[in-house]
Formats: sequence, C-alpha cells, structure tokens
Amino acid sequence: MTNSYYGDLKLHRLKKIEIVVHAEDHLLVEDMLKAAGVGGWTMIRDVAGMGHSGFHQGKSIFNDQSGLVMFVGIAGEKIISEVARGLARLFEKRPGVTFLSDVEVMRSDYFA
Amino acid sequence: MNMMTPLIAVEPLLSRTEVAGLVALAARRVPPIWPLETAIAVNPLAGYEKLPFETAVAQAAAHMHARQSLPLLQWRQLYREGKVAHKALRDAAMQKLGGIYEAMAPIVPHVTQMDLVMARLLHLPLRQDRYGVAEPSPAAALIAKWCAAFFDQGQAASAMPHRALGLYRAVLALLPYDEAYRALTGAQGQQLLLSVPRDPLDAIAEALVALQVPAGQEEETLAALVARLPGWAGHIRWRTEHADPDVAAPAPATMADIVALWLLLERSGACADASAPASPTDASEALAAYFHITPDMWDSRPAAARTRFAAVAHMQEAQLGFIFMTAAEWGYRNTLVPQLQKMATQKTAPRTADAQLIFCIDVRSEPFRRALEAQGAYETLGYAGFFGLPIALHKLDAARRARLLPVLLAPQHDVAEAPAQGREAQAARYRMHEAQIRHSQNLLDSAKSGTATAFATAEATGPLAAVVMAARTLAPRWLRKVRDAYVPQRTEVIAPSLHHDHGQGAKSCFSRAEKLGFALSLFKLTGLSQNLARLVVLVGHGGSAVNNPYAAALDCGACGGHAGGSNARLLAAILNESDVRTALAEKGIKIPDSSYFMAAEHNSTTDDVVIFDQHHVPNSHKADLDALKRSLEKAGAHNRTARAQKLARTAEDLHTGAVHWGEVRPEWGLSGNAAFLVGPRSLSQSLDLEGRVFLHSYDWQNDEDGTALTTILTAPMVVAQWINCQYLFSTIDNDRYGSGDKTTQNIVGGIGVVQGNGGDLRVGLPQQSLFRDDGTAYHVPQRLLTLVYAPFERVRKIVETQDILSRLFGNNWVTLVVIDPHSGKALRWRCDAEMGADATTASALYEMEI
Repeated sequence: MTNSYYGDLKLHRLKKIEIVVHAEDHLLVEDMLKAAGVGGWTMIRDVAGMGHSGFHQGKSIFNDQSGLVMFVGIAGEKIISEVARGLARLFEKRPGVTFLSDVEVMRSDYFA
Repeated sequence: MNMMTPLIAVEPLLSRTEVAGLVALAARRVPPIWPLETAIAVNPLAGYEKLPFETAVAQAAAHMHARQSLPLLQWRQLYREGKVAHKALRDAAMQKLGGIYEAMAPIVPHVTQMDLVMARLLHLPLRQDRYGVAEPSPAAALIAKWCAAFFDQGQAASAMPHRALGLYRAVLALLPYDEAYRALTGAQGQQLLLSVPRDPLDAIAEALVALQVPAGQEEETLAALVARLPGWAGHIRWRTEHADPDVAAPAPATMADIVALWLLLERSGACADASAPASPTDASEALAAYFHITPDMWDSRPAAARTRFAAVAHMQEAQLGFIFMTAAEWGYRNTLVPQLQKMATQKTAPRTADAQLIFCIDVRSEPFRRALEAQGAYETLGYAGFFGLPIALHKLDAARRARLLPVLLAPQHDVAEAPAQGREAQAARYRMHEAQIRHSQNLLDSAKSGTATAFATAEATGPLAAVVMAARTLAPRWLRKVRDAYVPQRTEVIAPSLHHDHGQGAKSCFSRAEKLGFALSLFKLTGLSQNLARLVVLVGHGGSAVNNPYAAALDCGACGGHAGGSNARLLAAILNESDVRTALAEKGIKIPDSSYFMAAEHNSTTDDVVIFDQHHVPNSHKADLDALKRSLEKAGAHNRTARAQKLARTAEDLHTGAVHWGEVRPEWGLSGNAAFLVGPRSLSQSLDLEGRVFLHSYDWQNDEDGTALTTILTAPMVVAQWINCQYLFSTIDNDRYGSGDKTTQNIVGGIGVVQGNGGDLRVGLPQQSLFRDDGTAYHVPQRLLTLVYAPFERVRKIVETQDILSRLFGNNWVTLVVIDPHSGKALRWRCDAEMGADATTASALYEMEI
C-alpha cells in the first residue's frame, strides 16, 4: 500500500495485538503466541494502571512476578485471530485485557 | 476417564492456542520442582493459593490422593510434648463447633458437645490409616520411566535417542518397542501410535474430542492428568520457566508433551480407574462407649442432642487435625505477640556497636545472632541472604552459571569468579588439583559403566575403594584434614569479581547507578543505622553435607539454593568503594571513613563462620577483626551445643556429621519455622525465639512511602511462606508432598530422587528432615505467622494494593499481625480482608465465656 504522504514507501497492512496481564501469567501468553505462530513480540515489564479492581502497582524490586506486563505482537490477521481466540478462553479464568488494531509496517517479512 | 474409544478420525474442536492456554492453566496444578543441585523450597499447593486454605488442602488431597492433616496419633504426641497448649486446643475446638453456645450444649447429663470433641481429639482409639509409599499405577510407571530416560542429565551410560524431537515425539518413536506399553494397551495402542498427531497440542485437541470430554471440563481434565505425576510435571515447569535455555535445548519438553502422553494412554484404555476413597469415619460406637451412653438414654434427650452427637461422631480426621493445627498456631501466636508488644513499649538507647553483622533472614540465623549478641556490643540485623544482588555467577571451571538470587527474580547481571588478588599461585594449584580429581572421576565413571570395562574396573579399583570407604566411614574428619593440608580452601584463593574481562580489558559488571541502588536497598530495607560501627559484616550462609542429595536444601534459599558468601563478598566490596560512598552521601547516607565492610559465611551445620578476604583488611581494623573472630568462635560453640541437644547428639558430633557420607540428618534445617518478623531487632533481642522465626530488620520511620515494607512483604515473606508450606505439607503427608525415607531413595537423572527403582520424582523434603528417628514429628505443621511492626494504615494500603498479599492473608495461608508503633496495639488481618480483632481477642473472648 502506498499513499501521497509516504511517497514510494511500501507499507503492508497487518494486525497488532496488545495484551496486559499479571506478570505471573506472562508465560501463559507466551505459550499462546508461540502456538499461534507469532514469530516475535515485545514485552514491557512493570506496567501500572487503573482497572476495575483499583490501581495496580508496578512490580516490587525483589519480585519479577508482581505487577503487570504488556505484550505487543504483530502478525497477519489469521494468526492474530488465533491468539485472540486463545486469550478469550484465558480471560475466563485470569484477569487481563487485550486490544486489537490495524497497523501498517514497512518490512512485512520481519513479522512472518 | 478410563474409556476405550473407537479408532475413527476425529476433528478437533479447539484451536492450538486454546489448547496451549488450557495446558498452561492446567500446568498450575503443580508447582515447579527445582533439581537437587539448587533445591528450592516450594509450596506443593502453590496452584491452589487462590482458594481458602482449608478448601485448597481438601481439593489437593482429592486430586493427589494425599492426606489433609498430620495423623492424629502424631498430633497427640505433639500435644503431650507441649507443642499444642490445652487451652488453645479447647478454643480451636470451640470455634470449630460454632461458638460457646454450641460447644457447651449438653448431649447427655454431664457431657457437652465440647467433651465429645476433646475425647475424639485426645482419647478415642484411632483407625489404622494409610502409611508408607504408594505404588504408582502401571500407566504412571510407564510415563515416569520415559521421563527419567528423557530428562537424564548425564547419569545414564547411554542417552535416550531422539531427544531433540521433544518428549512426546521421542517417546512416540520408541513406544512400538516397549513391552510394557504393548502389555498395557494391546493392539489398540499400536494402532493409535500410527495415527495420533505428532504435535502434542494437536494430539491433545484430538484426544479431547475422542474421549468426549464435555465442553467446560477441558481444563480440569488436563489438570488432573498433570497432577498424576506431580514430580515430573513440576520438573517440566522448572525447565520451561526457570532453567537457562541451554539446559533444556538438547531435550525440549513442555507440559503439553506429558499431557499428550497421558491422553494417548487414556485413549488406548491403559489407565485404570483411581482407587476408591477411604470410607468416612463414624466414631459413634466408640464415643458412646467412652461416655457410657446407652441407646435408651436418647429417648429422654431432645433431637438436637442426638444431631450434635452425630456431627461430632462423623468428624473426619482432617477436621480434627485442622483443630490441632489451629490450636498450635493460636498457642504460638498468643504467647509471642504479647511478648513483642511488651518489648515495643521499652525504649532502648542508641549505642555504637563494636561491629554490625547483617545476617540472612533464615530461621537458623536467629539463635546464632542471639549467641553472638551475648558476647559483646554487637548489633545484628536481618536481610534477604542474596543481599539484593540479582546475579548469576559463572564459577571458575563450572559448566553452567549459578543463579544466586531468589527464584522470584531473573538474573540481571552475570558475574565471574577469578583468582583472589594476591593468591594467583595458590588458585592455580587449587584448579589443577580440582581438574585432576574431575578427570579421574570421569575416567572412573566411564570405566565403571562401560560394558567391556565394568568388571575389570571393579577388580582393579576395588581394594583402593575399600580403603577409601573405610576411611570415609571411620575417620571422615581426619580425611578432610589431610585434604585441607594439601589443597587450599577454595574461598581463600578464588573470589567473585566486580569486573569481567572479555578480552577488551576489564570492565565493571555493574554501573555506578546500579551499585548505588544495591547499597541504598541495604540501608533502606533494613533500617541499618547510619551510626555505623568500625566493622560491618555481611554474613551469608550455607550448610555442609556429604553424599546427601538434599545438601542444597541446607544452603541459602534466597541465593537459589547456594551458599550466600559470594553475594556478601560482592556487596561488601561495593560498599568499600569510595565513589559508591560519595554517591551514598549525596543521598544522605554517610559512611564514616572508619567503617570497613567485610563478608562472611555462617555454616549452619557446624556453626563455624568463615570471614572472607581477611588479607585485605587495613591494619587499623585488624584488632577489631581479631576480637570479632573470638566472639564468633564463642557464639558458634554456644549455638552448636544448643543445636546438638535438639539433635540428641554431642556438639563435636555435628562436625563429624558435616563430613560423614552416612549422615542422614546433618542438621534440622528450617524445621520448626513458624513466624516472619518485620521490625527492629530491639523487639526480639531479649526473647529466645528458638530458631523458629525469620527475622527481617525494618525501621518504619525510615520508610514513609512504604516501598521498603512492600518489598519485604512481596519478596522475602513470600519466600518464607514457600518454605513454611513446604515443611508443613512435607510433614502432613511425607509420601505425597515429601520425599519419604532417605535410606530407600535413589537419585535419578542427576535431577531428583525416586523411591526404590522408579516412579514419580519426589517433590518435597525427606522424612529425616522433619521426623525424629522414632518416627515422631519434630516439625510442627503450622502456617506462617507474619508480624509487622509498622503503622496500621501503611500496612493496610500495601496489602490492599498487592494481589499476592491479599491472596495469602485473605485466604488464610498466612496470618498477619500488625503491631502499631503509635498505639502499641496488635491487630490481626481477618480473612474477610479487613483489619479485624485484636490479635489476642479471639481466644480471650472464648476464655471469658467459658
């Protein structure tokens, strides 16, 4: 996809998934991303914020398992929908939120 | 779920990610199990912590066919020993009955409901219950056998083939040749081997359909499979979640692999139905006989009396055991809390200590600290034994790095060892000697296991081995002395280095900001006075044991099952650096030039203390060091004598046990652990806490925003709770939650132990760590009591914003008592998550009403 703003730059439309879960659940999400075939992702540790059950503190300094973590993954729609399907089951048992959105990337092979 | 299914093609209903999620959730049914070389205490019921304690214990017992309580016979023995106070037992029984009105309700003339319960607790004959090692089912034995072969870490003479394919696929490749599999599954099993998917997630998805598992029951079905072999499943969790990647890379395995194997056996009809639960207890006849209640007496009694009688008669051992446990906890709490409250009101004048020593929070530090404080003007503090350094240590000549930090943390820094400064020649000699030993051992191992050389090796080395064995048996200390005379002590010639060298010049392992952070944490978390002594010593700890698979369990849990000396040496070196001191001064912490930091290691088996790097001590501090060494020696002798009495041995014998290959109980470890105290030493200094309390120093006035207390409660206290639960559950069912008798254990794969020649990897502590030789319990299974000396409001805010704390305190896994510095009042955290009654009120109320 090209447009006037980007000139000759070729952009590829993919899906982005952002997932916020308790740090102790991060391996569950990783297992799911791997099973769906997501090639790589970003994990942001020590996320804090306000939720239904009040303010969630960041992690304490001697415990990586406390606090929240956020995953950001980008892949084709089929793969991301697969992740979302697994997450829907996970969120029946564990707290967490996820966001799906359209993104454009320059190097589509990077997210294969 | 034992059902034969027709071999027809099935279409999975669940996607791979759904199965992955379900397996990951099911995996939590068991905790990770660390290998022997880094044995870490874990709560075997960690996966149930979201449930109230009593419910969790009942559910886990049903899932793992385990006991819910220590046998009543054992509880009665503890009661006779005074470990359970009579009054506390009555109070706990009364609470169980629903209060004083119910407890005092008459059943027949002169007999109350309380009398019935007390008779059941203390006097009625007991039904013979299950003891000993349970045999695994044939299906469990089959999977356990393949797990042992697959996960072997070099113990086997020839490795299992196809391991690179992963556990499930490697076993699939070999099952056609397995006679045990053929006998269990017959033709159906062989056909399934040809048709099942080769990917474990796909195989699970297909099996759930083939076995007609109802929608919504998938997770529970998978979790039940995980719990069938909690040891091997726990080992998989350790590999996937906590091991370095190079450990698992040659033989990858996930929980999906073992679950897929179970489902293969389920589909081929190889899994027998679980044994029927034991019939419930009915003590009606025994109770009636004990109180001389005849059937005709009921005619004149109201129906309610008979109902109450039946309720007590049908109480199960688990319920009665829970009353005993509650009583042990209440008795302990109601004795300790008033003592601490009293100490809190007493003002102590600040004084300059001859030396300050910072010990690990481990319960074994407490009696040693008390013994040392009695020797002179020594101030002691408690801090997590890894001293706040999130490091992995690359030991010289070791194949893998050691994680010297709590398992709650991932290593952030890699530190290497190097020859100690000025000891390079001795270090070279030491390394050469160790290399010779290593090569000889490898050669001998190869020769022993070679098919052509095994007998010749036995013939050739047998006489020498007999001499060595005789020396190790009859004169182990002499043998150790001979070795020490020729080989330098490792810690004297090799030290962890603050610098690493990758061929481009030495570079610091830590940035200045990181060093400052480690130093600040020490002061902030412990409240270490800025009125520093001339010598400040960081004291790590480790145990000593020979030929003992559980040797690492005696080391420091905060250092990942290693001795803590390396961490202490690194932080001491950091705190002696002038630019770190300058940076600390900018933060308001002034370390006088006259203060010198040192590192030491307390041997909890012998009570010897090694002080490291003494050759670096400035001349100005040598007299201080000599005085401290004399005091440490006296304190060690005193503590050794006291500990020897608890082991029913002589103090001298503890030194022998530390080097004897036949020793099964070199020390009691953390047996008896009962409480975690967060506060200044002045609260507990005059009390004999009997080595039962984790002591973490804390100054509430030095922590206005509560971050230090948050750290203490969410990390060191959580580790203490794991330890407490491991000891608790290993005691109440040593077969299921512990590892049984050491004398019948065998090491498997270099990673764990099994009982006899196979079966599941054992998950907890051995019998000898918890029970005396006569079989009576030394450890009292009671839940952790956490005591915090801090303002009530600060603690409340922390607990409410930290999920892990509201879960542990709210679900009664840990009792929290807060002593408020302003009012001196003690408040207990109630399970309904609100600050509740005065800590001593509950039993006091009952006392008044009785």
